[in-house]
Amino acid sequence: MLGFNHTKTTAQRIEFEALVTPWLDALYASAVRLTRNERNAEDLVQDTVMRAWRFFEKFERGTNFRAWLFKILTNTFINTYRRSTREKSLQDESERMSVESHFFSADVTDRAQNPEEYLLERVLSDDILKAIDALPIDFRMVVILADIQEFSYKEIAEILDVPVGTVMSRLFRGRRQLQKQLLAREGESTPDRTIDLNAWRERKKLG
Amino acid sequence: MNCHELELQLTPYLDGELGADERVGIEAHLAGCSTCAHRVEVERHNLSMLRALLREGSPSAPSRLRQTVFDGIHREELAARRLRLVRLGAAAAGVALAVVGANQQYRIHQLRLYEQDAAMRHARQFPLEIRQPGAQAIEAWFGGKLDHPVIVPQFPNATATGARLLQVRDKAAAYIRYDARRPMGLFVYGDDHDVDIGSKPEVASSHGYNVVSWREGDVVYQLVTDLDEEDVRALIAPQHTAGQTSPPPESLPAVRMQPASLRH
Repeated sequence: MLGFNHTKTTAQRIEFEALVTPWLDALYASAVRLTRNERNAEDLVQDTVMRAWRFFEKFERGTNFRAWLFKILTNTFINTYRRSTREKSLQDESERMSVESHFFSADVTDRAQNPEEYLLERVLSDDILKAIDALPIDFRMVVILADIQEFSYKEIAEILDVPVGTVMSRLFRGRRQLQKQLLAREGESTPDRTIDLNAWRERKKLG
Repeated sequence: MNCHELELQLTPYLDGELGADERVGIEAHLAGCSTCAHRVEVERHNLSMLRALLREGSPSAPSRLRQTVFDGIHREELAARRLRLVRLGAAAAGVALAVVGANQQYRIHQLRLYEQDAAMRHARQFPLEIRQPGAQAIEAWFGGKLDHPVIVPQFPNATATGARLLQVRDKAAAYIRYDARRPMGLFVYGDDHDVDIGSKPEVASSHGYNVVSWREGDVVYQLVTDLDEEDVRALIAPQHTAGQTSPPPESLPAVRMQPASLRH
């Protein structure tokens, strides 16, 4: 409000709206995954667009508007909506280093014992969304940006203000955790790891 | 490259984040290692399914949100615009107060409004209520219609051809049509010095017409014509020059201001 330049013209407002409108669905979809609440998601998008307008003069025309807009979304989310829930974060530098050096090797062992099937044939989009919502926030943000919005690692690193290595490790671990969750859901009703596709389909129809 | 090394590169490889050299290295290994090749195949499939399901399940922004998301910006813009206008108005008024008396500014502004209104109404060419050439007939027709007696001035090379009652802003006026080189309209109305007009004729232009305004005591005259300014000045005061002090009561030597009934 005060301190911001109030002489923005109608032309600038029209330009701004034209730039933002194509991304409203994407902003909302991401906001729902972040806040896990439709009402809060609407508020988050509203706040994001207002803040983007206030900073619009600082946006360099011709550069990556989508990344700029999503950076404002994630910042607004972190500053406004995360104050109440102090979720465990992986920002700690030493933790990041150990994760990067070890996370793959642990996985190789895991793989050898459980040969992978085409896991996601049997999954509905609803299950996926629930599984993403259950991820810790740091993994969730990267999975949203990479797998829903399909940003590059470099773009995600800029948006979240973290190194590319951190993006990679969080993405890997986030996806890994998703798959574990989806398997676990199946595991509840089928104790042995072999999945009976037809029985599963029958269950889904009745459930 | 061995299987462990490939494992480390798997995520960026599937996400298309590796450079050409690195990709070639991986594909060379995959060509010779069926375990890794199968592994990559499964992972690639799972990743594309994940993304397809996410795309399918992602909600669209509700229409309510689409409508209101820019409202806050519109409101801010309107408020800012109003604020700018208020500030401009205050600044302009401040200058006027400082330089000229506020009242004077007001009066000059009011005169402009009267000139504009006279020009516009003349342009509208309302039908005349009396069509009879001659000042005498017209003066007689106006008898009692207005608060002041109406004198029909005589202009050189012009004939009064008709008249009607007409408003100039809030003033009830006599409107007199003249045929000259170009048709002219004269407004005559009583005025308690509301309007900043002196006995010296002032020429102004409005809406493509020239408007000459002068007063005789409590009566204001405004002549509207599309003659150009030079011809207008020739019409009303061929010998009149600026700076003359205390002109005689008839400050328009070319215009005969005697009531027609007293002429001849």
